Amino acid sequence: MVTESTVVNKVSTQVESSQSVVRMTDVGKVFPNGNVAVNNINIDISAGEFISFVGPSGCGKSTIFKMISGLIDNTKGNIEILGSDMNDTGQKRTDVGFVFQDATLLPWRSVLDNVMLPLEFQKMSKQEKKQEALRALELVGLEDYTKSLPRQLSGGMRMRVSIARALVAKPKLLLMDEPFGALDEITRQSLQTELLRIWEKQKMTVLFITHNVFEAVYLSTRIAVMTPSPGKIASTVDVPLAFPRNDEIRTTHQFSDIVAQVSHDLKF
Amino acid sequence: MENIQTEKLEVTQKPSARSTKINLNILSVWGPPIIALVLFLLIWQFGTLLLQIPPYIMPKPTDVLAATIENWSRLVNSATTTILESVIGFVFSVLIGVSAAIIMASSKILERSLYPYAILLQTIPIVAIAPIIVIWFGSGMNAIVIIAFTIGFFPMLSNTLIGLNATDRSMIDLLSLYKASKWQIMWKIRIPAALPYIVAGLKISCTLAIIGAIVGEYIAGIGGGDGGLGYAITVASTTMEIPYLFACGIAASILGIVFFLLVSLFSKLVLGSWHESEMKKER
Repeated sequence: MVTESTVVNKVSTQVESSQSVVRMTDVGKVFPNGNVAVNNINIDISAGEFISFVGPSGCGKSTIFKMISGLIDNTKGNIEILGSDMNDTGQKRTDVGFVFQDATLLPWRSVLDNVMLPLEFQKMSKQEKKQEALRALELVGLEDYTKSLPRQLSGGMRMRVSIARALVAKPKLLLMDEPFGALDEITRQSLQTELLRIWEKQKMTVLFITHNVFEAVYLSTRIAVMTPSPGKIASTVDVPLAFPRNDEIRTTHQFSDIVAQVSHDLKF
Repeated sequence: MENIQTEKLEVTQKPSARSTKINLNILSVWGPPIIALVLFLLIWQFGTLLLQIPPYIMPKPTDVLAATIENWSRLVNSATTTILESVIGFVFSVLIGVSAAIIMASSKILERSLYPYAILLQTIPIVAIAPIIVIWFGSGMNAIVIIAFTIGFFPMLSNTLIGLNATDRSMIDLLSLYKASKWQIMWKIRIPAALPYIVAGLKISCTLAIIGAIVGEYIAGIGGGDGGLGYAITVASTTMEIPYLFACGIAASILGIVFFLLVSLFSKLVLGSWHESEMKKER
C-alpha cells in the first residue's frame, strides 16, 4: 500500500511540472576554493518562454547555465529540467541544445558535418542525419553553404552554423551563453530578429545570457536581473511587448521604459 | 556573407595575370638560395685551387663529384641501408610516440607518472646509451633502428601530448554535453585538433631519425657491403678517401632534406584545407 501511494505521488508531481521546463529551488554553488558563485536561486521557467539572464561579469550567469546543462553540479538546492531531477539524469539530454559565445565549430569539418556532430551520438541512419542537418541549416538560411569550411565564413555566419548545430537535435530547451557578444551591432540585430523567428517557429524554450540590456528587452518574454557577490537573481521583469517584434519596437516608449526598469534593478 | 563574396571576386581574377604573378613568386622564392649555392660552390672550387689545398684535406667540388661517380654503386648501397634503418626507426617513433601520448592524455595519473621518465630518456646522450643498446640487441640493423627510434621518439611524444592537451575547452564541454564518451571525444575532437602539433613533431623526428641511424651506424655499424652511410664515413676517414667522405656527408644531408620535404607534403595534404600553418596566403 505504501509503495502504491508513493507511485501516485510521483506521477502527480510529473503532471504538475509538465509545463515547467526549468525549476530551480534554492540553488547554490560554492566552488572548492570557497568562492560562493551563486546563492538562493529560485526560478520557475515554463514552456515556450524566452528568458534572458542579464547581469555584469562574475554574477554567476554562466554558472547557472553550467548547472542546468549538467557540466557542473550544484552544491545546494534542487534543479528540475523538463520534469526530471538533475541529480538522477543518466539518460541522454538530446532535448537540451547549447550555443556558446564562440561558435566553437570544428575547423576541419564542413558546415554540414559540423551541424551533424550532435547526431553522431544517436542511433540514426546517415541519410536521416544528413536530412536533419539540412533542415537545421535551412532554418538559419545557410542551406547553400553546406560544403564551406568555417574559416571561409564571416563571424555572423559561423554563429548561424552554431545555432543550427544546437537546433539539429530538435531541443525543447535551448541554452545560449552570450551568443552574439562577439558580433558587430548590425549583424547582432539581424541575428536577434532571426532568432525570434526561429523561436516562434520551433515553439521551444530559450534561456539567453547577455550583458546587453537592449538585447535582453528586444528578445525576451521575461528578464532575470542578476547582481554579483554572491550571484543572485535580484528581480525578474516581464516584457509585455507583442510578437512578432521588429526594429521599430526598439524606439518605442514602452521599450525604453522596460530598459530603464532593468537598468535600475541592475544597480542593486 | 561578406567573406564569400570577396573570395568569389578573387577567383574571377584574370588567369593570365595570376600565372605571371606565380612565376614571379617562384623566381623570388628560389632565385636567392640558388644564386647563393652557386656562389658558394665557385668560391669553394677556386679557393681550394688557388690556395693549393690538397684533396685529402679539402677536396674541391669537382673532386667530390668525381668520387661520387666513381663509387656510385657503393654510395647507393650505403644510402639504401641508411634509408631503410631511418624509415623503420621513424615509423616506430611515430607509432609509439603518438600512442603513448594518447594514453598519457587520457589519464592524468599516467601522464604524471610516465612523462618525467620520457624526459629522462631524452636527456641521456644517445652516445651513452648506444653501447648498451648494441649489447642488448647485437650490432647491426636492430640496434641501429632502435637508436634511430630513441632519438625520434621524444619529439613525437611531447608534441602530440601538447596538442592533445591544448584542445579548446569549450569543444570538449560541447561534446560532453552530447554525452560523448571519453574515447569519442579523443577520436572526434582531440586527435584532429592535435594534428598540427603531430605534424610539427613529424618534421622534427624525420630528420632526427636519419641522424640517429647515422650515429647508430657509427657506433654499431654493420661491416661490408651492407653498411650504411655512417659506416661508410668511418671507413672513408680511416682510408683517407676524403672526397668520398664528403660525398657520403652530402648524401646524408640530401636524404634528410628529401625526408623533410616528403613530410611537409604530407602536412599540406592533411592540414592544407583548414589550418593556418599550411593555408595559402590568401590576401
